[in-house]
Amino acid sequence: MSEVMAVSALAAEADAVFRARHEPESMVALRSRALARYEELPVPQYEKSDISRRNLTAFATHSDERASAGTTQDWQTIAGPYLDENGAGVLLVFADGKLVSERGIGALPDGIVVEALLDAVGKRSALVEKLHTVVPFDEDKLLALHAGLWRDGVYVSIPRGVTFETPIQIVHVVTRGGAGSFIHNLYEAGEGSSATILETYLAAPDLADHLHVGVTEAFIGQGARIKVGVVSDLPRRMTSVVVRRALVGRDAAMDWIVGEVGDGYTVSEIGSRLVGQGSTSTCHAVVLGSGRAHADLTARMVHEAKFSESDTTARGVMQGHAFGVYRGITHILKGASGSNGQQAEKLLMMSPESRADAIPMLLIDENDVKCGHAASVGQINEEQLFYLMSRGISEAAAKKMVVWGFLDPVLAQLPVDSVRGAVERVLERKMK
Amino acid sequence: MSMIPELKISGLRASVEGKEILKGVDLTVRGGEVHAIMGPNGTGKSTLASSLMGHPKYDVTAGQVTLNGEDVLAMGVDERARAGLFLAMQYPSEVSGVSNANFMRMAKNARLGEGNEVPVLKFHRELLQKMKALSIDPTFGERYLNEGFSGGEKKRNEILQMTMLEPSIAILDEIDSGLDIDALRIVAEGVNTLRKPEFGLLIITHYQRLLQYIDPDYVHVMMQGKIVRSGGRELAEKLEQNGYDWLKDELGIVDETVEAGV
Ligand SMILES: Nc1ncnc2c1ncn2[C@@H]1O[C@H](COP(=O)(O)OP(=O)(O)OP(=O)(O)O)[C@@H](O)[C@H]1O
Ligand SMILES: [Mg+2]
Repeated sequence: MSEVMAVSALAAEADAVFRARHEPESMVALRSRALARYEELPVPQYEKSDISRRNLTAFATHSDERASAGTTQDWQTIAGPYLDENGAGVLLVFADGKLVSERGIGALPDGIVVEALLDAVGKRSALVEKLHTVVPFDEDKLLALHAGLWRDGVYVSIPRGVTFETPIQIVHVVTRGGAGSFIHNLYEAGEGSSATILETYLAAPDLADHLHVGVTEAFIGQGARIKVGVVSDLPRRMTSVVVRRALVGRDAAMDWIVGEVGDGYTVSEIGSRLVGQGSTSTCHAVVLGSGRAHADLTARMVHEAKFSESDTTARGVMQGHAFGVYRGITHILKGASGSNGQQAEKLLMMSPESRADAIPMLLIDENDVKCGHAASVGQINEEQLFYLMSRGISEAAAKKMVVWGFLDPVLAQLPVDSVRGAVERVLERKMK
Repeated sequence: MSMIPELKISGLRASVEGKEILKGVDLTVRGGEVHAIMGPNGTGKSTLASSLMGHPKYDVTAGQVTLNGEDVLAMGVDERARAGLFLAMQYPSEVSGVSNANFMRMAKNARLGEGNEVPVLKFHRELLQKMKALSIDPTFGERYLNEGFSGGEKKRNEILQMTMLEPSIAILDEIDSGLDIDALRIVAEGVNTLRKPEFGLLIITHYQRLLQYIDPDYVHVMMQGKIVRSGGRELAEKLEQNGYDWLKDELGIVDETVEAGV
């Protein structure tokens, strides 16, 4: 299925689009370099996830093209349940790449920037230097494609010393399938700054084949504390391949929070490079797979500096015919002495047709470190179910209670109320 | 509109993983009555309780169980509870993520049925009152269901649930194990407040001490997966003093566990 478009045709087509968009020369050059590698680079390989069987050509070089017409739902219907209507804070909603709703941008404190990355790059060509330095485009074919074609996504900059606690929420909705999505987010947190960002990815349930390749790159300055939440609810015919990576500076803290609740085919990697001494990063993930979902999640923590710490926890629940894979990778490089990397993952299979795999990996090239992992895959606890039902509670309600109890240790750690609230509402709706 | 409930067990046989454990149990418990089941370890007492409640591990292979004439064995676990059966378990489960109080309110509303839900405030007033009567600290309402409760706290919580749910027939499996002397008295008082013609009780215990507080009308002894002897409270006293050997001698039983039963 994954025959690739001839590189010359793709590059020429793309080039025309970018020039028409008046992108900076350096940007156009970066894109051509990436597209020149597209054909030769391998399709990414993942144990347990053979994405070459998915439709990897369900995209167009620009978003107006090839979109198969029509959907039964508009963006409001799709996004409604995920929006906190009474919420304060910044909210940007993009539907099929176009900004359709915004709140709170005008009231941002001085110096904080939240805008479309394309606009940001247009205004400050120096930003191009940063693109794909944390997530190199030559890691695989899809990243090269992304680097060549990315058009959506947001730039957030929190200046040095600024604390902005109300979450900055960015919602992407796909209502028309076929054109593909290439979303690139770039976050810069200045020294000692603090902020919370929530990315939400949604699409119409009846969407046609649609490829999404996404990248989030975050630069976390010395002593900064940044939380990034990612909620994703993608439909069956969507194939989503995403890499989210932060570069965490000295004494800085980066918390990743993941809520993956769709029934699409998703392969995502999330994590941090701990490059500053005393830096820390956590990743708390909750995955609920429904229908024929294929949810492949990797939490990768790379300890490059001394006394760096990481902690990743995941709870996954697979219902229906869902398949879940969770990889925890803790890599401690030589020289990162005094580091501590912990991981704990638990997956639950709710039906005989569901499957789940937990793959913990500790790669340790340094002696003086602490490392630990705990992984389990199992079925719902029969004794708990019996206990609850013996008080008159129906099987369905009892199962829900047990699953809530299972997810609770991770949900309770989600550091932002509104993020937790959103994830809990979605779980409640999706749980059978 | 008071009704005298009746739980009727006849010829009940049950196995776990293909091994027969209950080998024909006959017993009838009516409202107003207190029955005690005693018997050595591993003779099938908890299995009887679990089978009556419908634990999925236990396969009932023969016999009947009816509650007020209705076929209990045809009901799901939750339906049995809603029909008025209650089991205070020997080892109650811990469930995190749901608060004790919310859980009890859901259970209560399930028992009352749709449209008859108890108002939230009324429920909490009643809950606090009953917690007080059982000397349970109010903070236990907000804690996750049984999570981190001590053995004795779990037992008290079972009785709290029973008094909140007002079943018509309750089975208490070793409710006295793990309770200190004061707690035993408090729990027994809690149970005694429920005694009335609309409520029947089946108590599984190893100790006569509980029966000093909750006076039984009938005492049964279980061995090899069957009730082998029934009597009044004097039977419990005799067992307390003399153990089970005299009874085994009388019955010609060498090994009382279910393994040996025919
Ligand atoms: N789920 C199970 N799996 C395997 N064996 C079981 C199971 N439940 C009960 N049994 C076996 O059945 C027999 C009776 O057990 P049961 O728990 O009913 O005894 P009991 O009379 O309640 O004992 P005790 O006084 O120690 O509580 C024992 O041999 C026990 O090991
Ligand atoms: Mg027992």
